[in-house]
Amino acid sequence: MKIVVTVKLVPDPNAEKRIDPQTKRLVRTGVETVLNPYDEYALEAALQLKERAGGDSRVTVFSMSPEPLRETLRKALAMGADDALLLADAGLEGSDVWATAYAIAAALRKLEFDLLIVGGLTDDSSTGAVPGALAEHLGLPCVTNARKIEVVDGGLQVERETDVGYQNVRAPLPALLTTALTFGEPRYASLKGIMGAKKKTIATTTVGELALELPVGTAGSKTELRSFAPPPPRGKGRTVEAADGISGAQAIFDFLQEKKLV
Amino acid sequence: MKHVLVFAEHRQGKTRKVTFELATEARRIADQLGGKAFAVVLGSGAKQLADELKSYPLDAVYVSDDSAVDQFLLEPVVDYLEAAAKTIGPSLILIPNTLSGRDVAGRLIVRLGAGIVADVVEVNVEDGAVLCISPKLGGALVTDCALRPAEYGIATVRPSAFAAARGGSGATVITLEKLAKSYVAAIEQDVEEGATEMALEEAPAVVAGGRGLGGPEPFDTLLKPLATALGGAVGASRAAADAGWVPYNLQIGQTGKTVTPKLYIAVGISGAIQHKVGMRASGTIVAINKDAAAPIAEFSDLLVVGDAFRIVPELTKLIEKVKGNLS
Repeated sequence: MKIVVTVKLVPDPNAEKRIDPQTKRLVRTGVETVLNPYDEYALEAALQLKERAGGDSRVTVFSMSPEPLRETLRKALAMGADDALLLADAGLEGSDVWATAYAIAAALRKLEFDLLIVGGLTDDSSTGAVPGALAEHLGLPCVTNARKIEVVDGGLQVERETDVGYQNVRAPLPALLTTALTFGEPRYASLKGIMGAKKKTIATTTVGELALELPVGTAGSKTELRSFAPPPPRGKGRTVEAADGISGAQAIFDFLQEKKLV
Repeated sequence: MKHVLVFAEHRQGKTRKVTFELATEARRIADQLGGKAFAVVLGSGAKQLADELKSYPLDAVYVSDDSAVDQFLLEPVVDYLEAAAKTIGPSLILIPNTLSGRDVAGRLIVRLGAGIVADVVEVNVEDGAVLCISPKLGGALVTDCALRPAEYGIATVRPSAFAAARGGSGATVITLEKLAKSYVAAIEQDVEEGATEMALEEAPAVVAGGRGLGGPEPFDTLLKPLATALGGAVGASRAAADAGWVPYNLQIGQTGKTVTPKLYIAVGISGAIQHKVGMRASGTIVAINKDAAAPIAEFSDLLVVGDAFRIVPELTKLIEKVKGNLS
């Protein structure tokens, strides 16, 4: 079974986020970056499926970036992926969701796979629209938010989380899956994995090589960021020491009445 | 973009509140664009919901009760939405920013060659251009993003961002022609669990518990009665979900849900950044904590330092007396 996992490097969620006032883009250099947490779950799912399927199963990681950020892929390779493809091209700078999905789909067409696993959201921009867009571009059935995945009779049997519970879904391969955060904790890279990752291949491609019909980057985007600002600050509020239950409750109740919430 | 089309998400005819919010907002935007406001309702129970939508200010509601919508995963929904969008012509499509909403929107941008702005909380029209305000990076920044001029544009809209108001003179209900297509991703079983009577993202009040509660029982015995008295829902921090005290669909924060209720009450939650990003845009934040130095003090409007196990039941009694209900 051949599995492709898409991964992205995102700013450390605990770090201060900054947008360059000139380019209006998120500053990604000089900021601690991590593998998008959602993608680690996608990779964990792929590695488990590979282990279960055995044989000549392979996991390829794919990433797209305006800059050649190989660390993302190196970490994924250290976790156990077999090889990697990186679409790195300065021409991708400023791509919105539409242009991003268009470029990723074109690059993925160069890979052969039975299953494409994508993180459910990205930690930095969180539109959640890329998985659906990729499925549409590639003509794949799309099962999102999977928490249990099995391959049965050459097809997928998936338990996926919904807003109110779960669904059991059956779909043929090839298919696109996204993983839920309840799938199971992603593994840590072992020392052996980290050493081994250095020898694994990271192939690269460029926008030019994809021979796209439509532009990507800022020119190919269908949205335009006009302005951004931090939200109005929420000042530190009042603190009340409650000697007992009744006085604590009364303090909250009075406050809610003052705010006209009760 | 001239008209506005709302995807009316529902579950077997049980409406999501966000549908009425979008129907109301659609009218306002359509008037500014000089177009009409429409909605699409699909699947089992669609006709019933279309009737409910007649009391909202829409021009027409497109309906299909094709059973494929309930039997297969979202592809039929995308097909019918595409058909409706192409019937009405150039339009802004409003889709709830929910799990299914995001999946549908992703597919639809490719079908319609449309730009998308996600998690929108405000829509403005300036010289015929559609501008969307949305928080990014867990609320650390608020962005103003334009949909470039095109036939179609999509906004996934945050539940509770807009108020629902009835009005209009009764929308026409139009049945969409049945599509003769075959689908492959089959829903074999659809199960509700976790007894979430009210979707967390749509609740006007959220009472959330964390590590300080010490176990699963207080979520039912302590938080549930307070949430019910307020007409709201119970949520949890990641610590509580990781400990297995509550199902993950109640988790609020970076790796869980983002909520923006009018009132957020955090009980025994320290307020780590991972939790903060999921709730900091709430209207009013009240925290009950044993520790006056907990990080949540920095972004609460009121912090009560004390014993939650004694305070919450008393507070519930006080609120029950005035029948507090924020909805």
